[in-house]
Amino acid sequence: MNLYDIIFYLFAAITIVSAFIVVNAKNIVYAAFSLLFTFFGVSGLYVLLGADFIAIVQVMVYIGGILVLLLFGVMLTHKITSVDIKAGSVQTIPAVIIIGIFAALLIGLMYSTHWAVNPAEIPVTTTKSLGKTLVTEYVLIFELLGILLLVAMIGAATIARRDGDK
Amino acid sequence: METIGLNHFLVVSAILFSLGIYSVVTRKNAIMVLMGIELILNSANINFVAFSKYGNYGLGGQVTALFVIILAAAEAAIALAIVLNLYKTFTHINIDEIDELNS
Amino acid sequence: MDFSSLYDSLALIKPEIIISVTLVLIVVLDLIYDKNKKLVPYLALLGLIVSGIYILSDIANEGFAFKMSATSNKFGLLALDSFGSYFKLLIILTSVLIVFFAKHSVEIENTGKRQGEFYTLLFGMILGMMFMVSASDLIMIYVSMELLSFSSYVLAGFIKLRDRNSEASLKYIIFGGVASGVMLFGISLIYGLTGTTNLYSINAALQSGNINLIVLGFSLLLIVAGIGYKISAVPFHFWTPDVYEGAPISITAFLSVASKAAGFAILIRFIKTAFVTNVDGSGNWLLVPVFDWKTLISVFAILTMTLGNFAALWQDNLKRMLAYSSIAHAGYLLLGVVVFSQIGIEAILIYFAIYMLMNLGSFYIVMLIADKTGSEDIHDYSGLGYVTPFLGVSFAVFLVSLTGLPPTAGFIGKLYLFIALIDAKMTTLAVIAVLNSVVSLYYYIRVLKHMFLTKPNGEVKEIKLSTANVVYVIVLLIPVLVLGIYFSPLVNFAESCLAFLSF
Repeated sequence: MNLYDIIFYLFAAITIVSAFIVVNAKNIVYAAFSLLFTFFGVSGLYVLLGADFIAIVQVMVYIGGILVLLLFGVMLTHKITSVDIKAGSVQTIPAVIIIGIFAALLIGLMYSTHWAVNPAEIPVTTTKSLGKTLVTEYVLIFELLGILLLVAMIGAATIARRDGDK
Repeated sequence: METIGLNHFLVVSAILFSLGIYSVVTRKNAIMVLMGIELILNSANINFVAFSKYGNYGLGGQVTALFVIILAAAEAAIALAIVLNLYKTFTHINIDEIDELNS
Repeated sequence: MDFSSLYDSLALIKPEIIISVTLVLIVVLDLIYDKNKKLVPYLALLGLIVSGIYILSDIANEGFAFKMSATSNKFGLLALDSFGSYFKLLIILTSVLIVFFAKHSVEIENTGKRQGEFYTLLFGMILGMMFMVSASDLIMIYVSMELLSFSSYVLAGFIKLRDRNSEASLKYIIFGGVASGVMLFGISLIYGLTGTTNLYSINAALQSGNINLIVLGFSLLLIVAGIGYKISAVPFHFWTPDVYEGAPISITAFLSVASKAAGFAILIRFIKTAFVTNVDGSGNWLLVPVFDWKTLISVFAILTMTLGNFAALWQDNLKRMLAYSSIAHAGYLLLGVVVFSQIGIEAILIYFAIYMLMNLGSFYIVMLIADKTGSEDIHDYSGLGYVTPFLGVSFAVFLVSLTGLPPTAGFIGKLYLFIALIDAKMTTLAVIAVLNSVVSLYYYIRVLKHMFLTKPNGEVKEIKLSTANVVYVIVLLIPVLVLGIYFSPLVNFAESCLAFLSF
């Protein structure tokens, strides 16, 4: 067992254990904070896969952006001490059984399938070539995402803004 | 013990996907379901990056992962704006309890 | 990719560029004229019409745009062909009608200064749909679908004063997020299996064999779930009644026509491009034998029509009833997909043009009545047929057309679908569809019964219509009647728009 393997199992464990806590936590704030560790674990996996830039973006956008947004959502919409938000789940046992079977099948399928593997040397840093790909082959999607973010920003603002000026 | 390969990463992603689906099915709170959606998107992203490395398919997989992260951020922003707006009228945000529509 | 190929690509997407520029101009105009929002709809109309002219003039232009040079294949993110152009025209036409629809709608007028945002988001939807119908790459499909979805999530909850708008919006975004996430997981598995997300390269990879069929089948089911959510096929339809009832009615009408059209275009292009090896002399598609599309789509079609029609029977709210009716129509349209032939696609193209007219007409009349009486309940329609005969008669025509009875256009649409089915020797499906139409007759006629035959409780006020209202109804009414008798121009046009870009 070399170092790469140990690091993989470490990050995989962080990801999966914290994801378990996310879906089972009774308290929504605990769930949000363990989601932080899930995102961190996933970003570690990206580093192991040679995707350094994606890993950084994962930390910055997911942890710095989405998670903070979620926490704001949690804090703005309820007093943490109140019991108003029922984080408890319904019909847990049948759901656990069905999704357990589904998960077992899916994991078995993923593990047993022979995927086409032909590894090559990934460049040491991907940032430059990634940037090049973004503005050449994927330039249309890149620009489209710009419009999408504009629309999302306008949409979120118009929905959340207080209506003083009807 | 065999060395870490593509399948190991895929198993992690499969577990994350199943947990995401589990959260979507059992949770009633909208923000909790949103967290489940983030787990699903992350599992798909692990797949993309892992396939792109082990299959030597170029950078397409990594670029896609980047796009998905951006889309997830936009989606979270809109969803939380709607949740906030709804919170002004209702005092809770459990999606199953909002049943004024279910006549 | 060098600059000359970029220039070629841009030349192929002029209509989309015009829509994007209009979107930005609307934002700017909205900022400059802070007080007066009267100009915004006209700017929107201008952009739509110019874009429509470009689509018409370039309808014969074909080609791949935004090619993937690095992976040394000649296929691009977009495949521009006449099939896509037909759907783009349909989307532009619907959008023009919806702009007028929203202009006449009291609930949109009441949003006052937020109208600029309304049109910006509407154009976000239009742009997403325009790219969807010609997308030939799974990532492009995903991103354009998200652009459409995000805009429609917000628009579904646009009017904040009514609680049910926000509820509809929240359910829509949560379940929509799940559907698109699941679809993305499916796409990632396809990427792993074939090494590409381009539909043309996927086709080549599937033909070469060596694909794990279980994983492929699983990932296709996930992708179909994502698309099924957009076209509200059963069992992914559960959001439809709530969202359609809760959203502003102009957006409901837009979702039920344009968004569904874009979803169908994606479904058809996905199957045609990624799975069809050959089209034989009589126009039948030969599919790669890796996945049983026929059974899957047949089951969806039967479930969708039957559930849509039977659930519509119990609805008292007209918007909800029309929502279930639009689910049922998605079921009929899936029948056109299931025959897997050029005739089936032609039938879908014809049906969509007619469906747009009759569905928008019905929603418009429901809106007129709701704006004046404040109710969408069927019991408040009692006696309306006599006090406003114009509305009563035109609603009758639209509903008869939705049922599919002659001499209206709806009959022609259904006729072509059934011909395609019988041509492919799928009589069982045709019989189920006819029985479904009979069921649908009951709930459409029930509305008319209330309007004309039920004695109202108390006095019924006349609904005063402006000239613009009457003109709008007549503009939709005339084609519904004329296409029922003289339909060859539409059929010929649809026939000329069956070209898919091939290898």
